[in-house]
Amino acid sequence: MMKYDLDRIRNIGISAHIDSGKTTLTERILFFTKRIHAIHDVKGKDGIGATMDSMELEKERGITIASAATYCEWDGHHINIIDTPGHVDFTIEVERSLRVLDGAVLVLCSVGGVQSQSITVDQQMKRYKVPCIAFINKCDRNGADPFRVIDQLNTKLGHNAVAMQIPIGLEADLSGIVDLVSMKALYFDGDNGEIVRVEAIPDHLVEEAEEKREILIDKASLFSDELTEAVLEEAEIPDRLLIEALRKGTLKREITPTYMGSAYKNQGVQPLLDGVTRLLPCPSDIENEALDMDRNESPVALKSKKDGALVALAFKLEDGQYGQLTYIRVYQGSITKGDAVINVRNGKKIKIGRLARMHADQMEEIDSICAGHIGALFGVDCSSGDTFASPGLNLSMTSMFVPDPVISLSIKPQDNKAQINMAKALQRFTKEDPTFRTHVNEETSETIIEGMGELHLEVYVERMQREYSAKVETGQPEVAYRETITKKAEFNYTHKKQTGGAGQFGRVAGYMEPCDDHFIFENKITGGAIPTQYISACEKGFQGSLAKGPKMGYPVTGLRVVINDGASHSVDSSEMAFQAASKGAFQEGYAKAGSVINEPIMKVAVETPVEFQGNVMGSLNQRRGIIIGSQEDGPICVIEAQVPLAEMFGYSTVLRSLTKGTAQFTMEFASYKQVPQSISEELMKKVREKNA
Amino acid sequence: MANDDIRFDNPLKQLGFEHDDIIPPGGFGAVMARAGLGKTSVMVQLALSAMLRGKRVLHISLDDPVKKINLWYKELFQLLVGRKNIGPQTGLWESILTKRFIMALKSNDFNVSKLEKRLTDLADQDIFSPDVIVIDGLLFDESIRHTMLDLKPLADGYASCIWFTVHIHRHEPAGPDGLPVQLTGVHDLVDAAILIHAEDKGIMVKKLKGGTASNERESLMIDPSTMLIKA
Repeated sequence: MMKYDLDRIRNIGISAHIDSGKTTLTERILFFTKRIHAIHDVKGKDGIGATMDSMELEKERGITIASAATYCEWDGHHINIIDTPGHVDFTIEVERSLRVLDGAVLVLCSVGGVQSQSITVDQQMKRYKVPCIAFINKCDRNGADPFRVIDQLNTKLGHNAVAMQIPIGLEADLSGIVDLVSMKALYFDGDNGEIVRVEAIPDHLVEEAEEKREILIDKASLFSDELTEAVLEEAEIPDRLLIEALRKGTLKREITPTYMGSAYKNQGVQPLLDGVTRLLPCPSDIENEALDMDRNESPVALKSKKDGALVALAFKLEDGQYGQLTYIRVYQGSITKGDAVINVRNGKKIKIGRLARMHADQMEEIDSICAGHIGALFGVDCSSGDTFASPGLNLSMTSMFVPDPVISLSIKPQDNKAQINMAKALQRFTKEDPTFRTHVNEETSETIIEGMGELHLEVYVERMQREYSAKVETGQPEVAYRETITKKAEFNYTHKKQTGGAGQFGRVAGYMEPCDDHFIFENKITGGAIPTQYISACEKGFQGSLAKGPKMGYPVTGLRVVINDGASHSVDSSEMAFQAASKGAFQEGYAKAGSVINEPIMKVAVETPVEFQGNVMGSLNQRRGIIIGSQEDGPICVIEAQVPLAEMFGYSTVLRSLTKGTAQFTMEFASYKQVPQSISEELMKKVREKNA
Repeated sequence: MANDDIRFDNPLKQLGFEHDDIIPPGGFGAVMARAGLGKTSVMVQLALSAMLRGKRVLHISLDDPVKKINLWYKELFQLLVGRKNIGPQTGLWESILTKRFIMALKSNDFNVSKLEKRLTDLADQDIFSPDVIVIDGLLFDESIRHTMLDLKPLADGYASCIWFTVHIHRHEPAGPDGLPVQLTGVHDLVDAAILIHAEDKGIMVKKLKGGTASNERESLMIDPSTMLIKA
């Protein structure tokens, strides 16, 4: 049974830009809380890898791919932690984690500062109104400047960040930190910094410490009348009063207490844990709401108590060898082994089997999960975002935000066996990850996979091979070209087969010309030149010819066909004959009509910081794009352009590189336009090679 | 179809200007009217005429977003083509699109040095270099002379002429020179000024300044259903 004292529970996420040290920090947290007994580094020499990177691929690449949950105890508090990936490719892991967590630690590199994914995770925290504290990591690195990073938190992210500490030394000289609340120096002794030694502040740092403490008190006093009074009366400020004020401000998301240190060098982690327990919210500090599906989705406040009707949210699925593992957060009531609950989305009744508490990839079976806690269910078939509730309760929790994919690839299995395994893999991966999508292109019959970035798709292709033995080839998706005509052309075609027995005869004459619509057929036959009963067959013949154009086999569009003459035979004419005649007429006219290839043109809108405007416009220009215009709004600019789809493959990666990951783009179909001569020749060459 | 086959002469030329360009490179022009009388429409027709003569137009909008301005151009182009009865001209529209760049800025964000920087960015990337600059929505207040003087070297540098829309108000008395008060203080900088105003017979366009051609029409009329200057 999980320990239950709601005030002493913390559900936190560790989020940041790539390589800021989230996993390393989590490893130290687990070590100092005695959850693990040895420290292993991310991509360390011992080859074991950090606790939270359990996937082989994570250990090999030294990156976190999937979020991982664990728990620990510190200072009488139970802390559930979710370590999340930093790459934007795996952003869904951050979305799902922040959706269910009460607080977060925003990790920043003391050299890199606020980086592109820092901005994204900050927006995600805003979306779910998650209070956070910041940890400026890697203060042992060359160029470390934690106060510059605090400035960036304020200017780039709009935070009201305030230093809770000052470093004792920086870079290679980092030896401890000064805590501005207790006004003591902290040093981290022992083999792994596990012994925190408290000393007086070194003389040379006293003035700076006092100055920074003034700022801290000044900012905190905005959240406490009692503190303000104490300041005005110039009374001594007790630690408790300062912490209470900071906590109030943090819960309101109006102040960001900022800690510092170096997780890798085991400096500053224990004070950060103190910060987590003192400043971040417990489940009852957060107002959680569900929607009453019986009352027009009106919001209902949930009570974070173990008694009461159950409301829980499934936020992550993992398909393992023993069945589906569903991670849940219980918001109200509790869920116990043997309970019958309802999946509110589909109304199905579910009997709860095994329940577990997670520690990275290891499970500890438990009897129940109470309000305020995170755990996992075994063998329950459901989807991410489903709400579980007690029978009779029709409350649904809002799901997480799922961003749209930005990149696509075609995927082809190498053989039949791979085809079957690929299908299984795709089914599983798309179920677990809503930002990974797949579909079959009706026109080209290719299987297309879509994701958040090249790395995202690369990881899934790799997993297909490793976990499903499905060898696949990937490539650029085929572009849906079209054929059309550019000038009027006449046709006069006779279809005749009169060699003996039942014959066929039909003559169709008229013209075709370009038009703006897909296909127009006009009957201007007079005097019964083609009997009325065969006119629809003529239309069918022409229409049927559009599917595969004579030029290169692409669908034909933009054609107006007018028939104004013809001939029939009293015996040999039939619908079939006139259909064939029309097909022949189409081929004849088409050959003289100046046929061309059209390509899809996309309306592309790129949102970028103003300083990268020129680069972005250049990149679109290089892709045969026409820039329609630019719209500036403060530091952001939106550039609108029309760009051929064929040139947009891989653009998300290029854009990230050009704008240091700060820009994003959307793309939607605009129109078809004639391809340049050089592209047309290239396409014809490919078709000839394919046919040969 | 080549641009030469479809030519839209600058309708304002009929008011007594020597050339379709109306004002020389480096020159300033103003299209003045009260709200809703068609300043943007006249400006877009002016721009379309320039684009169809092979000129590159930078349309700076300080009020409206890119989408809206683009729609103005598209719709007026289609109306002009429709008036000539020459069938759909999708190819022509695609080809003249490259001759136009729309820049939408917040009016309180606009300043000449920013504009210069943007133009330099565009030139450096070999994306766009304007022959005609349209500034739609600039406030003609006490600081306008300063702004126009700053714009002069930019216009000369790019050999571009600059057209401004000028919002005037009902019942405002004219300036000492008989021109709308917004031009007081800058009339020496403006090479041509056009006024759109409502009369009993309709919305009229007349010349206030510039042009010495002899075959002059006193005024032109705007078709209120299309906002096109009537031929």
